[in-house]
Amino acid sequence: MPNTMEVIGPDAKEARARTIAQRIALGAWRSIEFRIGLFVFTTMVLLSIFWPMVSAIDPMKINIGAKLTPPVLFGENWTWTHPLGTDQLGRDMLMRCFVGLRYSLFIGLATVMIMLAVGCLVGLWAGYRGGLTDTILMRITDAQLSIPMIILAIAILGVSRPTIPAIILVLGLSGWPVYARVMRSVVMAERKREFVRGATILGASDLRIMFLLLLPLCLPPIAFVAVLDVARMIIFESVLGFLGLGVQPPTPTFGNIIADGRKYLVNAWWIATVPGIFLFLTLASLNLMGAALERSRNRVYGGKA
Amino acid sequence: MTREDVTVENTLLEVRHLTVAAGLGRSAPQVLTDINFSLAPSSIMGVIGGSGAGKSVLAKAIVNWLESPLTVTKGEVLFEGHDILTMSDRQTRLLRGKAIAYVGGNPGGALDPTMTVGAQIVEKLRSVESGVSFAEARKRVVDLLDAVRIPSSAQRFHEYPFQYSGGMMQRAMIVDALISNPRLIVADSITQPLDVTVGAQILKLLHELKNEFSTAILFVSNSLPTVADVADQVIVLEDGRIVEQQPTSRLISSPQSAQTCQLIAELPTLWEHDTRSRLKPASDDARPIMSVRNVSRHYVLPSSSVLGFGPKRILQAVRNVDFDIYEGENFGIVGESGCGKSTLTRLLTALEPPDTGQITFEGEDILGRGRAGTRAFRRRMQLVLQDPYNSLPPRNSIGSIIAEPLVIHGLAFGKELRARVLDVMSEVGLAADLYEELPMVLTAGQRQRVNVGRALILEPRLMLMDETLSALGQTEQGQLLDLFEKLQAQHGLTYLYISHDIAMVRRVCARVAVMYLGEVVELADNETLFFQPGHPYSRALLSAAPTLETRRYRAEDCLLDGEPPSPINLPTGCAFASRCPHAFDRCRIESPRLQTRFGLNQAACHLLDIKATVKDEVSV
Repeated sequence: MPNTMEVIGPDAKEARARTIAQRIALGAWRSIEFRIGLFVFTTMVLLSIFWPMVSAIDPMKINIGAKLTPPVLFGENWTWTHPLGTDQLGRDMLMRCFVGLRYSLFIGLATVMIMLAVGCLVGLWAGYRGGLTDTILMRITDAQLSIPMIILAIAILGVSRPTIPAIILVLGLSGWPVYARVMRSVVMAERKREFVRGATILGASDLRIMFLLLLPLCLPPIAFVAVLDVARMIIFESVLGFLGLGVQPPTPTFGNIIADGRKYLVNAWWIATVPGIFLFLTLASLNLMGAALERSRNRVYGGKA
Repeated sequence: MTREDVTVENTLLEVRHLTVAAGLGRSAPQVLTDINFSLAPSSIMGVIGGSGAGKSVLAKAIVNWLESPLTVTKGEVLFEGHDILTMSDRQTRLLRGKAIAYVGGNPGGALDPTMTVGAQIVEKLRSVESGVSFAEARKRVVDLLDAVRIPSSAQRFHEYPFQYSGGMMQRAMIVDALISNPRLIVADSITQPLDVTVGAQILKLLHELKNEFSTAILFVSNSLPTVADVADQVIVLEDGRIVEQQPTSRLISSPQSAQTCQLIAELPTLWEHDTRSRLKPASDDARPIMSVRNVSRHYVLPSSSVLGFGPKRILQAVRNVDFDIYEGENFGIVGESGCGKSTLTRLLTALEPPDTGQITFEGEDILGRGRAGTRAFRRRMQLVLQDPYNSLPPRNSIGSIIAEPLVIHGLAFGKELRARVLDVMSEVGLAADLYEELPMVLTAGQRQRVNVGRALILEPRLMLMDETLSALGQTEQGQLLDLFEKLQAQHGLTYLYISHDIAMVRRVCARVAVMYLGEVVELADNETLFFQPGHPYSRALLSAAPTLETRRYRAEDCLLDGEPPSPINLPTGCAFASRCPHAFDRCRIESPRLQTRFGLNQAACHLLDIKATVKDEVSV
């Protein structure tokens, strides 16, 4: 182990007063990607929350007369009333996209949180306890893993009404086993380390070791994968929508807007493209922030900041 | 005699102006600078230096095995007159297998775990010497395995590396190196991972090899006594430069450079009478703080037969251990790996319950009062762990690591917590501005200070030091021992040292328990253990401890070859009988019990019954 004391230059001295979490946040904030990501993301989220409240336009109001209006500056007949054009029923695309973003993002985030929470808890418990607990929990995981997502979705959503909580539950239920597996293997490796034994001898309880010592150590790499899964879940929701098991019309989500717009792709490309661009911007900004945080975290834990 | 006069005939290896840099270009830091030496056949050259002195780089440069970014910028390595560094890959490969062999310090990593040991050595032999039939190769390997004293070599030939012990793997690596009758062996820290008694055997083996096969050996090590044991000539490296090169005896009697003087001065001494206060055993009226009564612990292993049928195998890790630790004393437990030290640590810290017997702390059974009782016990007794790199959670700041015990036991919050942590940090010699740092920036010694600090913050009565100092260099060890002494005086601590390092035990422990295969074979105060050991194993341990002093006990008289028997399904009789030079019939039938010799000293040996023999042994 090289003595890294001399690496810490005088300019870093002032940062020493900050906690590690502060240093990671500060390091991320200093990168331009993080600021861009944060700016885009907050703008999108704020607009999607407040614009529909402020605006007088109803995203579900049908106006056949104005159907298939192209976006501003594209084609003929465009108007400033519908800056991003209208769909086949004359509904305003901008408004539909904001409302769709609201639902899609909510579904994506909530699903990933359920997956992460269930998966990590199961994995943590199984990995830490080992033995019979591990066997039982992992066999349950295997059982869950063996049911294809689509079959589960058809079974549950076909029987009950496909409401948003039900969709979140179905997607979350089918996604957690992967996290449980990964978490379990990481925890199994970490719990044999000396510092875990050290904590036991200091008098720490199992819960404290699991949640305050092991979880912070094992969670971050998994959490960064989970950010990518937000996108996957938004797409899965649209797959369900495609089968008629997603969020029901007229409520717009990215999934059902894109699925509907597909039929008009040749005449009215914007119906499918505009929500696609929104989806892209949201996820790109999320990933930019995630990557900047990850880099900053690695720098701090790698001793370079 | 100038270098040019040395004729090729009596020089096997010659290194001229060897300079190695980390990276290319002028600004690249130099790892080795202008190294010159030559090595004759059947001689042993020792290379010694502190960590980072460039020893391993030198060893690797000689076999042309440097990995990027290390590059040779100048100089040549002549092996029998040919420069190794400028040879083609094909030529070096042939040379490496046939004429030069390299043995590293990590035999577990060097052997292929998926092949039997015999098969991989045969494979190597047949690849360097074409035309050797399998049967012939096999015979040669088994012969050599015999020569390095691997027991029942014909059977061991078919075993996998994981079935070998560390010492046996190291010997298998030596066989692997010797099989092609090389003219030069480069041995890089080969005794470092081994127990002292096994390491001593390996050194003995190297001597024999030199005489028998007239092999030249380049022996790299960081322990001066070890090098002095084997080498004819010694090179002292410091910052990549040779600061001294002398025949061994002269190096020790009249060292020329400051570095060598320092190396010698820092060595702990075993055989000087030392009467410092901490070595005095506690007075007779002292209260035992911890009592271990007849404690045993065994583990049941799955049967080795297919599908797990057949008799279960029983590993007896700790057998009938019984001792008291008195308040304010330094108590030591020594023994080699596999003697049950780690299991005993787990029992003493209430991580596991003993099968039989009882451990009491300040008069109360440590497991007797349920969870809350154990938690209370853990406040009063703290363990300082061995591995400075693994024992600290890597993602927590130093301040929060030291604060953790207080948080766990709910003893302090907020400002008070921070103040107490800073107090302890200054007490163990850590700067306050390390509070928000990660453990990564610390040296091994500082890490151990963090470990000590977080144990100390609970104000324990007893501190258990589980090999706490074994990963540290000589200088850092000394500093920490001074710190321990200071803390003991301030807080009235009792220390329990668990170690394999005889020299450290000699320095700090007032009373010592020697463990062998799960048993305490001798319990004695410091002076008695070192000057009148009551058990042959204690003597064997003392004889194998590396030191520059004239030895009181010669390894040849004290220890038979071989390694401790497996603790699984132990034979009846004395566990040490298979290695004891004094063993007689009774030892193989009846297991000796600890008997009092004088004062608090006890030993478990049948020889003590024969008074005349005892007198003999003492006078040796």
